[in-house]
Amino acid sequence: MPLLEIRNLVVRYGEIEALRGVTCAVEEGQVVTLLGANGAGKSTTLRAISGLAKPTSGEILFDGKSIAGLGPEAIVRMGISHVPEGRRVFPGLTVKENIMLGASNRKASTSEISREADAMFDLFPDIRKFTNALGWTLSGGQLQMVAVARGLMAKPRLLLLDEPSLGLAPVIVQAVFKIISEIRRSTTVLLVEQNARMGLSVADYGYVLETGRIVLGGKPDELWGNEAIRAAYLGGHAKVSA
Amino acid sequence: MDLALQLLFTGIGIGAVYALVALGFVLIFRATNVVNFAQGEFSMVAAYLMVVAVEAGLPYWAAFIVALLGMALLGVVFNLGVYYPLRHRTYLPVIIATIGASILLANSVLAIYGPQPQVLQGWFDTPGIQLGPVYLDSQYLLIIGVTICLVIFNFWFFEKTLLGKKLQATSQDKEIASLLGISVSTMIMITFIYSAVLGGLAGILVAPVLFVSIQMGSTIALKAFAATIIGGFGDVAGAIIGGLSLGVIETFGAAYISVPYKDGFAFLVLVAFLIFRPQGIFGERVAEKA
Repeated sequence: MPLLEIRNLVVRYGEIEALRGVTCAVEEGQVVTLLGANGAGKSTTLRAISGLAKPTSGEILFDGKSIAGLGPEAIVRMGISHVPEGRRVFPGLTVKENIMLGASNRKASTSEISREADAMFDLFPDIRKFTNALGWTLSGGQLQMVAVARGLMAKPRLLLLDEPSLGLAPVIVQAVFKIISEIRRSTTVLLVEQNARMGLSVADYGYVLETGRIVLGGKPDELWGNEAIRAAYLGGHAKVSA
Repeated sequence: MDLALQLLFTGIGIGAVYALVALGFVLIFRATNVVNFAQGEFSMVAAYLMVVAVEAGLPYWAAFIVALLGMALLGVVFNLGVYYPLRHRTYLPVIIATIGASILLANSVLAIYGPQPQVLQGWFDTPGIQLGPVYLDSQYLLIIGVTICLVIFNFWFFEKTLLGKKLQATSQDKEIASLLGISVSTMIMITFIYSAVLGGLAGILVAPVLFVSIQMGSTIALKAFAATIIGGFGDVAGAIIGGLSLGVIETFGAAYISVPYKDGFAFLVLVAFLIFRPQGIFGERVAEKA
């Protein structure tokens, strides 16, 4: 049984049908990447899983239990942590406080959470010196690290990562993906990426989304091998993705 | 000089009341992005609750606790009745709902108690003590003391406790707070209860100094609102500094310039700030990054 299974998921925003029947699965221990152009429905898929978007129809099964329609607070308690697009680090709280709040989904004493947050800096040494800096003072790459660290504090069984490379300098993107390859040792990851090259480099499996539907799924080398797909979505010779 | 010291004491005393109500404004504004126009009515209702409880024969301290518990309950009802049903709407319907609630509260009290102002005795039997040239009124001393304690409590609560951080997180980004597992509706409930109790405390403390009347709420709220703008809207320290300075300014204005225009000075200062420094003394704590 896959850890996460999505069947015929439909999400509407008013008149607009953002997802028109998405079906995919994430096996425990894997990194699965969801690729596609802007507006294909990648972020909406993650938002539906974490409860930020209400599914119109379809099923979302986490560990065999239906979670479609539950609120975000309930879903994160079940073990799905969503690191959203745009980092969304609390601007008026410090880095440490931001990371500590990531543990709000579980019962633990403040001192325990504080210790765990300190330990998080071993995985993210670049932000250790900003422990007491307010969120708004950080750069994009630092914010991304804080956001991922905060997401990991939930001790999730499934981590949803939305466009962690967006707007970052190439060297920072490398650093972020190095962290993802470390996270995967302990956590299952569903990664949304526009940067297909990076996404597939860490993934066990990939899906290609197009206007709200999964059009293709396969192992990274299979996706690379498909010439047409490569040209259209994966930034082959014709198009280079950001 | 002696007169100035005396005025300073009285000004800080009345300013502390504005500061407490202003703090209630700021906390609700930060949590919900809405100005609660019924904040002043919280003070008025609490003062009446206190009058009722004392008349019912309760000892003063017990009446005080009953009135504050009543305010906590009002905070819950206010959240569920005024804010919660409209929480997914824009700020405008919520603001109008708070104005409606303020009219409802004022007229309910009017219907029950009639228009005659009531008198509430002070906490202490001794009216005050003479300290050198300054006469320290016992009720003003109490107001200042309670305000100092609350400012310290407020700082500890928001800066040192995880619950305080969760409240701050909720006021900064509700969607992300809920993604992390923070119960947003609980956080907002706590904010309303706390703000209602703060407003109530201000009303109970100031009641022996003023008369307890239907209008006391709107008078205090207007000054407190001015104080939050002067301090920098949304800023906790700003609300306190703004409230205290407003109290001092109007007390000095009344003594040295004109008594009938006492209430005018607060708004003159407000207008000056709106023209020359609209972001207030402290401005925005979180700067927008380009």
